[in-house]
Amino acid sequence: MSFILNGYRQEPPAEWADEPLLFILREHFGLVGAKFGCGVGICGACTVLVDNVPTRACITTLDDVEGRQVQTIEGLAKGETLHPVQQAWLDHAVPQCGYCQAGQIMTAVALLNDTPAPTDQDIDAAMDGNLCRCGTYPRIRAAILHVAEGA
Amino acid sequence: MRRRTFLKAAGGGLVALIGAGAAVWSQAPIFPKRPAPDAASALGWISHRDGAYVLTLPRIEMGQNITTALKQIACAELGTDWRRVTVEMHDTNMGRVRATVGSESIMHFAEPLAQACAALRDALASGQSEGEVTVVTRPFADLRAFRAGPIVGASPEIAHGRAIVTGAPLYAADVTRPGMLYGRVLRAPASTELTSRPRRWNSRAARAVPGFVAIVEDCGPPIGKARGLGIVTSRPGALDPVARALAVEWDMDDAAPLPDMAMLIDVDAHAPGGLPHLVLDGAPQDGLWDVDMRLDIPLAAHGPIEPRAAVAEWQEDGLSVWSGTQDAFYVRDVLADAFSVTQDRVVVTSCRVGGAFGGKTLCTVEAEAAALSRATSAPVKIQWTRAQEYALGFHRPPSSHRIRARLAEGRITDWDHAQVSSHILFTGAGVPAWLQTGTDMVIGDPGVARGMAAPYKLGRARAAYDAIRLSVHAGPWRGLGAGPNGLAIESAIDEAARVAGVDPLSFRLDHVTDPRLSDVLVRVAALSDWSSGPPQVAGARTGRGVACGIYKDTSYAAVVADVAVDACGSVRVTRLWCAHDCGFVINPDQVRAQCEGNLAWSVGMILTDDLPTQQGRVVAETFADAPIPRMTDLPEITVDLIEGTGPLSGAGETAIVAGPGAIANALRAATGRRATRFPLQPTEFAL
Repeated sequence: MSFILNGYRQEPPAEWADEPLLFILREHFGLVGAKFGCGVGICGACTVLVDNVPTRACITTLDDVEGRQVQTIEGLAKGETLHPVQQAWLDHAVPQCGYCQAGQIMTAVALLNDTPAPTDQDIDAAMDGNLCRCGTYPRIRAAILHVAEGA
Repeated sequence: MRRRTFLKAAGGGLVALIGAGAAVWSQAPIFPKRPAPDAASALGWISHRDGAYVLTLPRIEMGQNITTALKQIACAELGTDWRRVTVEMHDTNMGRVRATVGSESIMHFAEPLAQACAALRDALASGQSEGEVTVVTRPFADLRAFRAGPIVGASPEIAHGRAIVTGAPLYAADVTRPGMLYGRVLRAPASTELTSRPRRWNSRAARAVPGFVAIVEDCGPPIGKARGLGIVTSRPGALDPVARALAVEWDMDDAAPLPDMAMLIDVDAHAPGGLPHLVLDGAPQDGLWDVDMRLDIPLAAHGPIEPRAAVAEWQEDGLSVWSGTQDAFYVRDVLADAFSVTQDRVVVTSCRVGGAFGGKTLCTVEAEAAALSRATSAPVKIQWTRAQEYALGFHRPPSSHRIRARLAEGRITDWDHAQVSSHILFTGAGVPAWLQTGTDMVIGDPGVARGMAAPYKLGRARAAYDAIRLSVHAGPWRGLGAGPNGLAIESAIDEAARVAGVDPLSFRLDHVTDPRLSDVLVRVAALSDWSSGPPQVAGARTGRGVACGIYKDTSYAAVVADVAVDACGSVRVTRLWCAHDCGFVINPDQVRAQCEGNLAWSVGMILTDDLPTQQGRVVAETFADAPIPRMTDLPEITVDLIEGTGPLSGAGETAIVAGPGAIANALRAATGRRATRFPLQPTEFAL
């Protein structure tokens, strides 16, 4: 059972086969960017991209991703050069506590991959399932629009 | 159970059943100590070696970006470059600092830090390169940190920002230790106010689950009166199936039905004028009232996206814990007491906190992790489930308010605000009932009282409250009583303005006594073009409202809100403006961010926040049961900061005194109906 994790083929050990993808990423591979928030796919803190589709890693199994491309927040930057969405998040000082932001960023990356010039309605549709208790939503919107304008 | 035998057992796929019967835990509560920060203790926060400085943060970082602000102060006072100062989170090896609560970090920690940095700067300038520095406190005006300059008054890239956007480990649950196991402490599905304990469970079924390591009976102090049963696994995903397989049956002291919480805090069921704790002690005259309104604000969860987490590891020299807590020293004190070790043998390391809002101030998951680690002789990580956050945490208390006002010639002459709520500062989660009886008699609960003294000339004004212990524990929640009290007061003031037939903004200006409050009102009027009213929205009723308030007598906010209400009564907040004055500003962008957060919480207070209960216990298990605002709930927000020269104060809980009232008042303007129950029920506002 293997999948492509940030460009590299990986095969978790057999005893991890029943673990949710989130725990495989965090506890086996040590990629802790995706977070546990609710465990039932509601909050979006665990969002990763599976073949560029935002996916809740907490309710995703290894079966679901077999042979597929899984991209996490750790796979976004190229060396020291941040992905434009990451850079926009810093330029707009989006994070407060920061816990939901990996999920927000991955969802935004997928949106912008599919829709390089999103409308506010596109942003609403894509981002409404990613919860943030600190209230960073207006800055998330501004950062996404900033990336879109620069594209 | 010793480490070697244990590991052998686990490695061989055998099982460990650890502990025989629960230990007797101390019944004496430990209280958080609250030392006042001073310049001498601040010397322990800053150190220098070879031209580089380390600032050990005397606060915890939970998104208020105090890390960035205190680094700005240190750089400005030291006169050094941004890159020469490294900031580290503190552990309990540092001198004790008090909990990071109450928007105090700039208010109380900025000047001591600047004093210490000034002393260090002078010592280095005089050629001292090692040893201790002595600090001679200088006048505030002589400190360089509190003058606008290239660093202070600017908004550099936030500390940890790059780590957050690249997914680097920052939070307690990101900590990993060699040989680490995963734990959970199961507790009865009951109010933590009731005594409960595990009666029996299916060990055999649990052992059969791949990844099972141990069942731990001796699993730390109870939470409230709920004793638990610990489970430990080698993989986190095994915790759910082990818990299911155990099928624990519980002994629960549930003979008597719990009294209905809404009934207990029904303000109208208490004798008028008979509430024990006075905030305003005027004597309103008897007679008919011009405004007489009842508001009910429900129990609400903090709802941080990070469920609390801790990693604990016992070694020969003691206990190490990594925690996302608002008070590492209090956690240390409780752990030392609970596990009968001296405080110097417990080290608690503060990790970045993934949202706290007042809710991560006690020691809970840390003691669970320590107990399971001790029992298994291995490091153990525990992160609570979302359901545990609701069931075992404490929450914003429900409150019911009766506010009456009488007017003459356009001015309020009599005012009577009665409130019944539950404890906040003396939270039932940390203070046993017998002790609350004492605090109730002596001082009441200042957390419930916070924000109850309306910032207006009110004539003969009385404000009084009572706090009732409930079966669901209440405690500090962003702003404590100030959010709910502000909503109640600002709703009543708005009704009073209608009675007077005066524009609500002018009416407030007529009654305000503090010029800084007048200033934010005037500023928000200009910012929002107040008198122009809300823009039309096709197919909706629209309204505009205003509210204002003062937080902790030190910071000021005024908010204007626009809402649109459709035919079904669904309410959308379409625009928010906020004018804010917290005195001299270190980092304007991050003060704005705090205002934005407060306004998001204001929207939540009106539209979403509610933690459902049944039979005296929380029944919410997911965000679906206890929703928080989503992106589509938040409108465009404009924040205008009055960057004054006033004393340093806080920004983390200020705008929440005004935001909810502004939204409720906009709804009144749009629909002619006064919201009195929250969160809003659309049916009440349908055409």
